[in-house]
Amino acid sequence: MTPENLLHRPTHTQYCTLGCPILDAFLGGGIPCNSITELVAESGCGKTQLSLQLLFTAQLPLHLNGLSASSLYLYSEYPFPNRRLDQLVESFRSSHPILFASSRDPRDYIFTRNCQTAQDLLDVLLLLESRLEKPKETRLDIKLIVIDSIAALFRSDFDNNPADLKRRSSLFFKISSILKSHARRRGIAIVVTNQVVDSMDDNNGSSGVRVGNLESMYTSGRRVLPALGLSWANCVNSRLFLSRHEVIEGVENGLPDSDYSGYVSRRKRRELHVVFAPHLPHSSCEFVILRDGVFGVDECL
Amino acid sequence: MEVLKSPLSASQKGKLISAGYTSINLLSSVSPSHLALELKISEAEALEILKTVSDGSRSESTSTSCTIVKGAQSAWDMLQEEETLVRITTSSSDFDNILGGGISCKEVTEIGGVPGIGKTQLGIQLAVNVQIPFDYGGLGGKAIYIDTEGSFMVERALQIAEACGDDMAEYSRLYRKGFHSHEVKIQPKDFLENIFYFRVCSYTEQIALINYLDKFITDHKDVKVVIIDSITFHFRQDFDDMALRTRLLGGMALKLMKLARKFGVAVVVLNQVTTKYSDGSFHLALALGDSWSHASTNRIILHWNGNERYAYIDKSPSLRSASAPYSVTGKGIRDSPSNNKRIKNI
Repeated sequence: MTPENLLHRPTHTQYCTLGCPILDAFLGGGIPCNSITELVAESGCGKTQLSLQLLFTAQLPLHLNGLSASSLYLYSEYPFPNRRLDQLVESFRSSHPILFASSRDPRDYIFTRNCQTAQDLLDVLLLLESRLEKPKETRLDIKLIVIDSIAALFRSDFDNNPADLKRRSSLFFKISSILKSHARRRGIAIVVTNQVVDSMDDNNGSSGVRVGNLESMYTSGRRVLPALGLSWANCVNSRLFLSRHEVIEGVENGLPDSDYSGYVSRRKRRELHVVFAPHLPHSSCEFVILRDGVFGVDECL
Repeated sequence: MEVLKSPLSASQKGKLISAGYTSINLLSSVSPSHLALELKISEAEALEILKTVSDGSRSESTSTSCTIVKGAQSAWDMLQEEETLVRITTSSSDFDNILGGGISCKEVTEIGGVPGIGKTQLGIQLAVNVQIPFDYGGLGGKAIYIDTEGSFMVERALQIAEACGDDMAEYSRLYRKGFHSHEVKIQPKDFLENIFYFRVCSYTEQIALINYLDKFITDHKDVKVVIIDSITFHFRQDFDDMALRTRLLGGMALKLMKLARKFGVAVVVLNQVTTKYSDGSFHLALALGDSWSHASTNRIILHWNGNERYAYIDKSPSLRSASAPYSVTGKGIRDSPSNNKRIKNI
């Protein structure tokens, strides 16, 4: 065994762009390769939006900060978002007309597979190993794997008894270990989405169990926690949290008038938080979801 | 002195010689149980032989050092040795204070905490700080970083190394205005060059690597810290045979302790936390179970307190249990800002 010389490694890890300079800058370049990034959010916050967008941006050439490779989308939540994918194809084509001329459909470079159970996912990942060895033959030159969502696989099949919980956490570590070894061997970026559960204790008393800074873990006015608990949190390298708040804006009379709603416009304010990451500080950034995709909002504007 | 001339019985002499022990000096480092096995005699008899031999050799030579128990040390020697023991700073003075100056060499220190508390950050910080030269109160050593989780980021290590280099430049500017010979600043890439990085992808690899470390450190004597981030990850998947896991972990712990003693390196083991069910309630404990908790000399738990990070000494033979706040900044591990404020207010 010989140690790796850190100087021979590229000094900067390869990142996959999110397709938005503001979000890229916020995340220090994008989604890091060779590492597992988790997106945590309640439903409707933009987990799937962001992961679909990544499926496209991974195909961008290296000089545009893409990975110049195909991507694999493993989904466990139905239905498959076909309509949204089509919309993104169009917007992606219009923003990169030269790269994706009509002869080259970006969808040809997105592989999908559904997984119904945790065991299923494990099997897919195990089979993937031999396929990834020969990228030319299998056309699986994959540099991005998205699992949407990991929580759905684990939230139904397991009972709340010690034996099942032990089996469950052992599976977490197994899946994470396989993902990490793929990531390591082929420099793959891995994105996993996760759901949230409501936080039951109001006091900050259980400060030992808490992961990251709790302050940011508010969404729609509720305090939430990422699903799957502490042992899963040990399995990911970085955790990002997407939140959504309703803010009241454009109050012109000073007092919001409930009868006359014309003066009150409600707006959804979405934020992306870094809960923990080896390379990023705890921070947050506002973003919006438009027809063309997910974009960051520059705070200065 | 030859065995033939020793005051042993003829049959004992015969057995010793046929086993290859022609000189008494050869017996000086042999344990009784080993000798018993070799000569096919009872342990009591083996002990008797060793005693007779040592009495004989002692009357012959005037040296008072007991050769029979090789490597033994008096507590006084150990104390003197410990006073010269160097410690690796964490870059947070509060954290260093509760550790008695930093992470001590020759010992195994286990550090545990929830994800995102800063275990990896501390690991990278130590890998950089161990390289601070003697002139600046450091060790001037090298680091081995064993990554099992894939959380080591080169750019983060570079940031921390840059900040460390800046701090050293600042220090020399403030305290040694006359000395221009020390102005040579260590470049961040030099820091990276002195970190031996191993990425481990399975528990068999992990065990093999730890067995190999002995040879590696023998070849690289300037290694002063071994960081394992984390010891836990590969041992939490799929071990049906818990007894096997305990045995493997026990063997690994012994090897790490031996490394720490033999080469005077600091072994820093990062661990995860898990919930433990006892007395009808769940509470937090370091992973890998009770038997593993004997494996480390010092145990430090990192935890949240409000919005501050705290380090708590859970177990240590020489340090009193205490806790101190610290923070993780862009530059690495530093003192908690609120603590500084508090001191200023007083």
